[in-house]
Formats: sequence, C-alpha cells, structure tokens
Amino acid sequence: MEVHVRLQLDIFNIKDIQFAGRTAIKDGVLYVDRSELQEFLGEDKRLSQVDVDLTHPGEKCRIIQVTDVVEPRAKTNGGVDFPGALGKIGTVGQGNTCVLRGTSVVISEHRRARDAPMEPSLPGHGAVIDMSGTGAALSVYGKTHNVVVVPRSANGIGLHDYRIALKIAGLKTAVYLAQAGKGLKPDEIEVYDLPPSSGTPKGLEGLPKVAYIFQFISGQFESIPGYPILYGCGAERIAPTILHPNEVLDGAIVTPYRTMGMEVFGLQNHSIIKELYRRHGKDLCFVGVVITVAHDIEQENERAATMAANLVKWTLGAEGVILTKSGGGIDEVAMALTAQRCEELGVRTFLALVHYPTMLSGGDNTTLFNVPEVDAIVSLGTPHARITLPPVERVIGKPIDLEEGPLASGEIKTTLHTVRGVISQIGSSGLIAVQS
Amino acid sequence: MQGHAKQENRKMGAEVLRIVQYLNQFFGGIGGEDKAHVGPQVKSGPVGPGRAVQEALGERGEVVATIICGDNYFAERIEDATAEVINLLRFYQPDAVIAGPAFDAGRYGIACGALCKGVKDQLGVPAVTGMFRENPAVDLFRKHVYIIETEDSARRMSEAVSQMVKIVLKLVGKEKIGKPSVEGYFSQGYLENEISDRPGAERVVSMLLAKLHGQSFKSEVSLPKYDRVELAPGIKDLRSATIALVTDGGLVPKGNPDRIEDRAATRFGVYSLEGKDALDPNDYEVNHVGYTPVFVLQDPHRLVPVDVMRDLEKEGVIKKLHEKFYSTTGAVNIVENVKKMGQAIAKELKNEGVSGVILTST
Repeated sequence: MEVHVRLQLDIFNIKDIQFAGRTAIKDGVLYVDRSELQEFLGEDKRLSQVDVDLTHPGEKCRIIQVTDVVEPRAKTNGGVDFPGALGKIGTVGQGNTCVLRGTSVVISEHRRARDAPMEPSLPGHGAVIDMSGTGAALSVYGKTHNVVVVPRSANGIGLHDYRIALKIAGLKTAVYLAQAGKGLKPDEIEVYDLPPSSGTPKGLEGLPKVAYIFQFISGQFESIPGYPILYGCGAERIAPTILHPNEVLDGAIVTPYRTMGMEVFGLQNHSIIKELYRRHGKDLCFVGVVITVAHDIEQENERAATMAANLVKWTLGAEGVILTKSGGGIDEVAMALTAQRCEELGVRTFLALVHYPTMLSGGDNTTLFNVPEVDAIVSLGTPHARITLPPVERVIGKPIDLEEGPLASGEIKTTLHTVRGVISQIGSSGLIAVQS
Repeated sequence: MQGHAKQENRKMGAEVLRIVQYLNQFFGGIGGEDKAHVGPQVKSGPVGPGRAVQEALGERGEVVATIICGDNYFAERIEDATAEVINLLRFYQPDAVIAGPAFDAGRYGIACGALCKGVKDQLGVPAVTGMFRENPAVDLFRKHVYIIETEDSARRMSEAVSQMVKIVLKLVGKEKIGKPSVEGYFSQGYLENEISDRPGAERVVSMLLAKLHGQSFKSEVSLPKYDRVELAPGIKDLRSATIALVTDGGLVPKGNPDRIEDRAATRFGVYSLEGKDALDPNDYEVNHVGYTPVFVLQDPHRLVPVDVMRDLEKEGVIKKLHEKFYSTTGAVNIVENVKKMGQAIAKELKNEGVSGVILTST
C-alpha cells in the first residue's frame, strides 16, 4: 500500500484587513475583533498588555523593533498548530492547513532602553518593515496586509521569559486569525504530497535524486533556554536529522529569537522546498530534507557535517544536495564543511548563500571558504548594501530614546540588513550580489 | 604650446581632451634596468605606447605630454616621487592621466597605481592604468583606481590601451562605469545587489540540474585564492621564551579609546599588562558584532587568558608573558585588513623579543 504524506493548504487570498466586531473572512476581507484577540493574548501572564495594529501596503507607515513575522495559518481538520510552542506536541505536515495569503502577523518587541539589544549592529529602532517607499519595494512584508502585535512584558518578568512570550503571542495571533477560514471554501488549494523516499517512486527512476540540507539554527547567537524551536523544544545542540519537508512547511520549526534573513513566514513558504516540490517528478526526484545546526564548537560542527552528509548519501540516496545557512560567518563555514563531506561521498553540492563579508577580501572572492569541489554557488545578495528609507507618517512599535540616532519616523540611512523581508537565507528573493 | 592644440580644435565645437601619460624608463625609451634610477623627465607629445593611446583617442583627445621615470627611482621614494610627477603634470592641465600599462612589472605597477591614486586625490582628475592580474600592485590599488586587466606582456598593447582609453573617456564624460566583467577592470572591492528575474531558490535548483546533467553552468560566486603561510619553526625551549597574547575577539579597555571598528576593523590596539596578574572585567568591554559577548564580559580571561599565563610564568613553564596584549576585531573583516594588521603586530612583537603568540578568536 502506498504511503502518502499529504499536506493540503486551503488558501484564502486576503485583499484587506479591518477591525470589526467579530473575527471573520468575507469577500476577501479579513475582519478582526481586536478586543477578543487582545484578551486572548493577555491570558499569558508573562504579558501585561498587547497592542494590536493594522497596516497596509502603500501606507506611509513603519513598523519597528520587528523580531519575527508569521503567516496566519491554522490546522482545520485535527492536527496541531506550532506543536510544543502552543500547547501539546503532535505531528504536523499532513491534513488541511488554512492559509491567509497576502497577510502577515508582525511581532514587534516592546523594548526598554536597558535591555540587551536584539542585535548590536542594529540601530535603536531595531529591524523595520516599511509599508511604502524603497524599503517596501524590496521587502516581502511591505506587500502584505499586516497585523502588528506589540506585547508588553508584565512586571517582574525576566527578559528571556518575555522574549519567549513575545514569539508565542505572534504564533497565537497567526493561528487565531487563520481559524476564521475554518469551514469556508478556500480561493485555491496547494497540495504537497511526497511519499517516503525509500526506494525510488515508480516512473522517476531516470531522474536525479536531490536532497536539501537545511541549516535552521546557529550557535552564533546566545540561545534562550526554553525557547520553542523544533517541535516546541530547544534545538541548538541537536545532531542532524531528517524531517519530512511538509513538517518544515507546517509549523514544526519556529525561528529562534535572533535570526538573520529568516522568519517563520519564510519557513512556512520555504522557497527551496517549494521549488524542489515544483520540479519533483518532472526534472528531479526530491528525496528529502536533512535539518542541521551550525555549532560554535568545532567538534560538534565536524560531527554535524559528517552525519548530515551520511544521511544525504546513505539514507536518502541523493546524487545532488542543496545547502543553505542560517546566519553569518560561523554558519557559512559550517555549511562549507558539510558540503565538503558531501562531495567526499560523491554527492554534488549546490550552495545558496547570503554574503556577510562587507567587501571582497583582496581578490575576486566573497566567500569564507575554499573547497574546490564546491564550485556551484548561487548568490542571495549582500545585506550590507545601503538603502535610504524615506520619512514616514506613522510608526508602530516602541522607539527607544537614544542620545544619538535617527528618529524612527524620519529618513533612515541604513543597510538592507535592517529591513525585514529583503534578505532571505533560503532564496525567496531575487537579490544577487555582483562585484563592482 | 599647451593652449595651442586646444584652441585649434575648438573650431570643431568639441573640446579636445588633454591627456598626460606616465611611462617607466623602458617604455619611455630611455633604457633598461641600467636606467631604473633615473628621475622624472618630461617629453612633449606621445612616446612609445603613447602612440597607441593617441590612436585610441582619435579626435577626442591629445597626448600633450609624457612623463618618464625610472622604476627604482619611484619605488624607493613613492610618496615623494608621486608628488614630483604630479607637479610636472599639473603644468599641462590634463583632463586625464594614463599610466602604463605596467603589465607584469611590479615596481612599475606600484608607480602607476600610486600615481593614479595621487592624481585622483590631489588633482581630482581621472587616472587609469593597466596591469596583469599577478602584479602585486593590483591588490594594493584596485580599490582606489581603475586598473584594466592586461596580459602579462606588451604583446596586446593596443587592446589594453584601448580599454584604458574607453574608461578614461567615460570618466571624463562623467558616465557610469559598467561592471568589471564588462569594462575589463579589476573589481574594486564593492559588492552590490542586482535583482534577478528569478528568486535564488529557482536559480540554485536550475544550477543543480545543469551540473548533474553535465551541462555547462556558471557559478554566481567564485571561491577565494588563499596564499599559504609558512609555519614558523616551533619554539625549542619554552622556558626561555616570551609569549604574547593576541586576540581578534575585540576586547578593549572601556570606552574603546583607540576607536577600533566593531566590524571590518582596520586598527588594532596595544594594551598594557604590566603589573597585572588578572584582567578586571570592570576595565574592559567587547567591541565585536559577531558573537554574544556575555561570557567574555563576565570574565575577560575567557578570551585573553592573562591569569593562566601568569601561572605558567610563575611555574617556569614560560619565561615571561609579554607585557602588552594586542587586540582587534575579526567580525566581517577581510583578508587584506587582517593581513596588514597581522604583519604589523608580528613585526612589533619580533622587535620586542617575543617568540610565540597565543592567538584567540571567537
């Protein structure tokens, strides 16, 4: 009997969001009962209150202190939403998931000046999303109707606990909104059905077997104990393992507090997984996904590289493998090491990378590694390219008052790194870095 | 003489560009190595390769003068020679300067690079040169000056010259200079984004299919060429050795007095360990964007292990911990910067009798 792992996305194309007396979807408009949502989010005693705001593409609005973005999605036929993060751990990747396309939940952190910054290299307003102007044109989230949640910490709650509650509030909001689609007829459906990779599916024998090594988290940044990342638990020290691609698409992984070029939204719409699905059965045979971690301890990186390569070759039987990374330098080196191990086993490697070095390092190269066999690399752009964001009329999120630094509402001269939704470590944008 | 050609050609309505060319003693026709010590001299009009330049310029410009200088003369006093040559060029009021091409000649390349940079900075006038990719002057000056990539010999002089002239004309006309691969110059060390019609995910899968099917493909990113660093011989007798601590983890005194950059640092700091058996966390901070500094802020010894080194001193394992530690920031840094700093630090340490270094990174 053939085994199917079938995920059906029931998609609603949302053209507008408005506050109303009841949360519902009608004629392409998502209506949101703001007070019901706030009450629901306020049940988390780690938070004192949660502000909820709406903003739309084209508005002269800037969302600041952005820590993550989630696409509103909810399981509708049994199944668990963001297992382990929101309640019980259960499996995901099958059945029906309702999706509100054209919308995003943006999580904005209510930072206090003395809090450790999200990232030392970001200015006082943190990461931003602009809804119009140059920033919006380049960003995925400048083009979606956004529900912005700004949860505030309750008194006496430590920073780590707050930052966990912050992510949970965003995930909860995404689920709450998408549940409005339950029982309604979707505008379109997408089906992701990939049987187990053992043996070769009939008819696909002539096609090259391709796997994907997804480096989903990095040891580059301090981890927060108890932060729900993989099926609701921490995952910073795990050894490589195999996930079904549908698990990645359906909420098994939540991005950590600090990320570079990845949001939950990106994982839900994972471009490389979707592209491999698109070409599966026609040009290639997609044999599966290995998830791995970039470690800050050399031995653990060596272990990860060896095990990931072995899984790709000996368990998935791949001939070619795509690799991406999750952060900056350490992660690039970990990815390259993993690629080297794959090449040693005879698996051809293909990397897609974001260039974190600012300038070319004396020569024509822009990478931190030099493995001669790894000669097929796609550029995902440089986050250090400069961008000037125009002044805006409205700011959502709490600015931090610094002695110096731009007003959050004013013109901001910064780099692409600051604008969420522009750089994607997993290939959703068309950016490509060229030398000049 | 200088005003004459300009006035004549003004009849045509277009201003004829005044170009001055710099050549070394060989291409200038003065002599070979035997004349490498000769100081700068001026000849009016084009000389040697200047004729190819003139041909490439056509009616758009005139090589009004050629400055010829010995390679050794220039290499032995780069700054002064640059100033001397610029003073000579100034007289001709050039609209642009063309130096070389130097092909594979190292000293000549340095002279061309330094001169073009000087002309650009001091006269504000475009200056272009040409070199073979292995010329050491390429990496020194590619960021500052347009260097056309040439072959390693003068075999294809006119091609090299015509590419140089093309860029000169664009610079003078304030036109946008295209990508290095198109215009033929060495990339200047900038990385810019363009927007492809296909997202990265599509491009990587396409590249995979092409390569797996044995078709040709072009990688969008090329790999670095690292040079090999010869290992210094091991320390034979540790007990008589002075060991220094060096770090790229960005540990600096509070306030970062030397204003070392927190990424792509070009400076390093030198901090005294005299009389210190330990580093007081209250005296230091971490200036580095690439790692979480919490643990080092709690205890700087985790990065710069002064305490352990003092123990080793007391136990006689080493003779002495060097009385200064060196610190810079490795985050988002480039080989060129860190190489320069490494060489400078090594030189200082060697002069002060240090025989070994413990280098810590993050």
